Amino acid sequence: MSAVLTADGGATGAKAPRSESTWLGAWRRFRSNRVGLWALIVLAGFGLLVALSALGWVAGDWQTEKGVANAPPTFMGPAQPQVASAAAAASGPLLDLSSVDPLAPRYREWTERAAKLETTEPHKVDTLPFGGDRLGRDVLAKAIKGAQISILVGVLAALVATLIGTVLGALAGFFGGKIGDALEWLYNVFTAIPSILLIFAFAAVAGRGVQSVVLILGLTGWTGIYRLIRAEFIKHAVRDYVRAAEAIGASAGARIFRHILPNVSHVMLVQLSILVVGFIKAEVILSYLGLGVSVDQVSWGTMLSEAQSELILGYWWQLVAATTFMAVFVTAFSLVTDAMRDALDPKLRGLE
Amino acid sequence: MTAYLIRRIWQMVPTLIGVVLLVFLLFKQFGGDPAEILGGLNATPEQVQQIREQLGLNEPWWVQLGIFAKQIVTFDWGRSWATNESVANLFATRLPATLTVMTPILLLDALLAIPFALLVAYLRGSLTDRTIMIATTVALSVSFLVYVIVGQYVFAFRLGWFPVQGWSDSLLTNLAVFVPLPVMLAVMVGIAPQTRLYRTFFLDEIGQDYVRTARAKGLTEPRILLTHVMRNATIPILTNLAVALPGIFVGSFLIEVFFSIPGLGREVLLAVNRSDYPVIQAVTIYLAVITMVVNLATDVLYKLVDPRVVLR
Amino acid sequence: MLLSVENLRVAFRMGRENGQVRRVEAVGRGGVGIGFEVPENTTVALVGESGSGKSVTAMSIINLLPDNAERTGTITFEGRDLIHASGSELRRLRGRAIACVFQEPMTSLNPVFTVGRQITEPLVQHLKLSSRQALQKAEDLLNEVGLPEPKRRLAAYPHELSGGQQQRVMIAMALACEPRLLIADEPTTALDVTVQRQILELLARLKERHRMSMLFISHDLGVVGEIADHVVVMRQGLVREQGPVAGIFANPQDAYTKALLACRPTLGQRRPRLMVIDDHLAGTARADLTVVKDPAAPIVVEAHAVSKSFWIRRGVFGRTEFKAVKGASFSLRKGHTLGVVGESGSGKTTLGLALLRLHDPNGGPTGGRALFDGRDLLKLSSREMLPIRRRIQVVFQNPYASLNPRFTVAQTLVEPMTIHGVGRDGDDRLARATALLGRVGLDGSALNKYPHEFSGGQRQRIAIARCLTLDPEVLVLDEAVSALDVSVQAQVLNLLKDLQDELGLAYIFISHDLAVVRFMADEVLVMKDGAVVEQASTEDILDRPQQEYTRRLIGAIPRGYTGAAAAPT
Repeated sequence: MSAVLTADGGATGAKAPRSESTWLGAWRRFRSNRVGLWALIVLAGFGLLVALSALGWVAGDWQTEKGVANAPPTFMGPAQPQVASAAAAASGPLLDLSSVDPLAPRYREWTERAAKLETTEPHKVDTLPFGGDRLGRDVLAKAIKGAQISILVGVLAALVATLIGTVLGALAGFFGGKIGDALEWLYNVFTAIPSILLIFAFAAVAGRGVQSVVLILGLTGWTGIYRLIRAEFIKHAVRDYVRAAEAIGASAGARIFRHILPNVSHVMLVQLSILVVGFIKAEVILSYLGLGVSVDQVSWGTMLSEAQSELILGYWWQLVAATTFMAVFVTAFSLVTDAMRDALDPKLRGLE
Repeated sequence: MTAYLIRRIWQMVPTLIGVVLLVFLLFKQFGGDPAEILGGLNATPEQVQQIREQLGLNEPWWVQLGIFAKQIVTFDWGRSWATNESVANLFATRLPATLTVMTPILLLDALLAIPFALLVAYLRGSLTDRTIMIATTVALSVSFLVYVIVGQYVFAFRLGWFPVQGWSDSLLTNLAVFVPLPVMLAVMVGIAPQTRLYRTFFLDEIGQDYVRTARAKGLTEPRILLTHVMRNATIPILTNLAVALPGIFVGSFLIEVFFSIPGLGREVLLAVNRSDYPVIQAVTIYLAVITMVVNLATDVLYKLVDPRVVLR
Repeated sequence: MLLSVENLRVAFRMGRENGQVRRVEAVGRGGVGIGFEVPENTTVALVGESGSGKSVTAMSIINLLPDNAERTGTITFEGRDLIHASGSELRRLRGRAIACVFQEPMTSLNPVFTVGRQITEPLVQHLKLSSRQALQKAEDLLNEVGLPEPKRRLAAYPHELSGGQQQRVMIAMALACEPRLLIADEPTTALDVTVQRQILELLARLKERHRMSMLFISHDLGVVGEIADHVVVMRQGLVREQGPVAGIFANPQDAYTKALLACRPTLGQRRPRLMVIDDHLAGTARADLTVVKDPAAPIVVEAHAVSKSFWIRRGVFGRTEFKAVKGASFSLRKGHTLGVVGESGSGKTTLGLALLRLHDPNGGPTGGRALFDGRDLLKLSSREMLPIRRRIQVVFQNPYASLNPRFTVAQTLVEPMTIHGVGRDGDDRLARATALLGRVGLDGSALNKYPHEFSGGQRQRIAIARCLTLDPEVLVLDEAVSALDVSVQAQVLNLLKDLQDELGLAYIFISHDLAVVRFMADEVLVMKDGAVVEQASTEDILDRPQQEYTRRLIGAIPRGYTGAAAAPT
């Protein structure tokens, strides 16, 4: 029989003793990237926050008006009370209104009665940890709730777009021919219209709310992934391992989903992450314009729209809170995406 | 070449039909009842019925589709439901404003991003490169809204260098007074993603075999970058610009809203808020046609840039 | 001495692992570097298989290595130290005193610049010629390298030229400034055999005329034997042997060199089995079991005028037919091998794939008949084809692409069994898979590993095992050993022969390499441009070729050193 393994090539050399699937190898490489790892920890923190907020354990009371209007952040101390400057004394004889006011005789009776009633007015604090908005709502709570909404919308919309784009791209890339032509036509129709316009058109008919935004973004944002997955499938469908699968009799479905799809899943994952970031930013803009989440919900976008008018009055804390939360999350997500892409890059793996 | 053009134009027809169908179905199926919207909140049922008759809403759907298609072909896009202004007039008056703002933005973005990206590609792997990459990542994570809000506040409101909002009838006044601040802010934000993208293009080219050949011939790195790499990278850069081109017509609607510039983007936004369907439909279809024409022009332009392209 | 290399070591930084910088040694091992010399007016060949470090050595001379490479040692060119030379010093040498020709001319030429522009570039840069002078010189150069219509070609783009023409352009570009050393990195490996012959002759002529030295890198001993004056044999980063070419071929000292020379299939007499490096190094001889083939064995596949065309788009709406295979007929007997030989574009692969029905059904019409067990393979529907697929299997060329990277070996082997219902249950199938792995010479522990953990030769064996899971009768081998190193190739070919004798398999062996076909095939089909040029038994084709093209093909094959002392063929 033929000779033993070791003579083959010279490439066996020093290989990892244990057998590694692609994902395990990628995870190992990801772990050694310090920046990516820290970013992942930050993301995990946000994930926890989102989960707690969704369950209502945190920031559930964001709508209550806990503080005074435009309460400053705690570290700044309470706002100085506005001292109304005394108006100039008017000249001329003093008129007593009671001489013309028909209700005047009853005033004293009413004042006495009112004094007997007790009103429980909730105590409005002077400062809140991150400050308060113009209605006195806790900005920190809003930021957390807004994080939940914005992140959820971004992730769900990205999942919808990825699902649509992947399935359509796989079919178009693998089969080509009439199916491919029909899907290309669909793609051309959707990309003929600039995406902002498409989003607006969908928004015009869909109305507001989280569901609407997810559908709008998902149904308009699938084209990028479609193009990529289609190109990948075209590339892989003529590769020898797929031909070999056909030669042993594997069905088309098996070839698409069992053979090729796992080999393009890393492309899918990276695209999904890019979409999440893009959709979060899009949702923020939509909500800012009043086309996103409904009136009784808060998102980073609604916070920014309120912040615009507050800024002129000198109240900057809502702007900073929304911006910081969003910036931290999006930066962390982008860094994780970059690290993931590096860890999954087949060229670095030396496989292709 | 002529055969290619004919075939491409022929292929545009199904796409156009698709767009028309999409717009029609979208608004017919999911939009509110136009008659009610036009009638307003206080319309009586009889008035609403009357409007339906006028708009032909009681006809079967294929007849309505036919009417819609005829309108498009005859360039009669009707009138805005909100202002009763003819949509054609709307285009004519709003488009110049959008273009006045967006053209400088598009040009400046590309012109500034290219040298930036070249520089970063030249310095690849160094500390400067990595710092710039992280800086752009952070810069991109802040919403565009924040930049405009803060920019407007600082440069216009506080420092008073530019007017906060406004527009005039004279092109020169616009370019000199009202355009600088929005353009500056938009370019500042747009530079980061463009630079990253172009950097990827340059790095892809630098890894190619012909660059090794150029080095083997004894050429200096800057020369290789500026002649060999640059020339090849213009192909994806051109594609990128072509894809972005149709977008400038709707403009950065955000800029137009913030700075009260009477452009097409702001008009569309107003239309969305007011459920002004004719405007939205017309703009959508009009832009779809422009996109297809621009794509065709780009493909033909490719031939000038990439000698390998064979237009069949 | 023109170039002198001493104790050269090259390592690549591959990122960090556990805080340490990981280095992969490409040239030199464990502190020991390599050394050799290139005298004036001499051709020195660096010979080795993949992973030997020969290309890296060549590229390190003028530092064309990637950014993460580290060189140590001494490289002296005309008395100058090249390791410590500054960037600008190196640049002055590159393209002028030392020039390069690379393996893949298509990607090594800039696709967007004309040929003329690329050739004049070093002329203007180094010799400071005006553009008109440079263009004139470029035209002269193209003429010298044998490119027809040189003036017209100056304005051509690389993609408008054939592979051989592109390589001539690269050579012209390298010669532009009269270099004293030409580094040629596998310059003919990517070319067809007949074109290779032309380019080798061109290089030899140019070297004589310009009195320059050449550092020639190759894996092909046949080519090296013909063109080199000195030979340096490398393996796994170290030099095993070096010396004048006559000595190396006639009287090799090192065991690896001997093995390398011995395990090449040759055009000489046919042997039942090839020598294998390990056997050779261990000094063991194989018992050659010569199995005599039965000339009256039953016919398994009978093909009549098989043709295959593809649609190409033309004009506005039309299309034309491109005939890839114009009509091939043969009879394949059980236990026999049919060799299909041709250069690129001959249609040999298309023929194989057409029989297996692996083309897109809408791609173009298929003509003729291919009878297998009484049924016409070319006319079956895909459902009818399924049971046939069990009995006709295929092994592809690229071992790195024919196994799904995400499947373990176990999954790859079990899948066909599951589809066709072989084996009682999962355990039974795994048992069969293990048995098959043993039969192709691999350990059962391979079951849980992924393809990237195996070398090229091992992957081909796994691919062969995959075919065997279905107990096929016919195996189509599409350039199955072309991508393997010579020593590995020998092992896989021996395995294929053993399997054929044991299981009575019939092979359709597609290859461009006549020497390998001589070893494997009983009958040979020679194809050119889709048509069968000649068809006969192996002995008749190789010893008494009738057609002009066949004779040219045989003549173009590099024979190695044919000097005074006879080589062990």
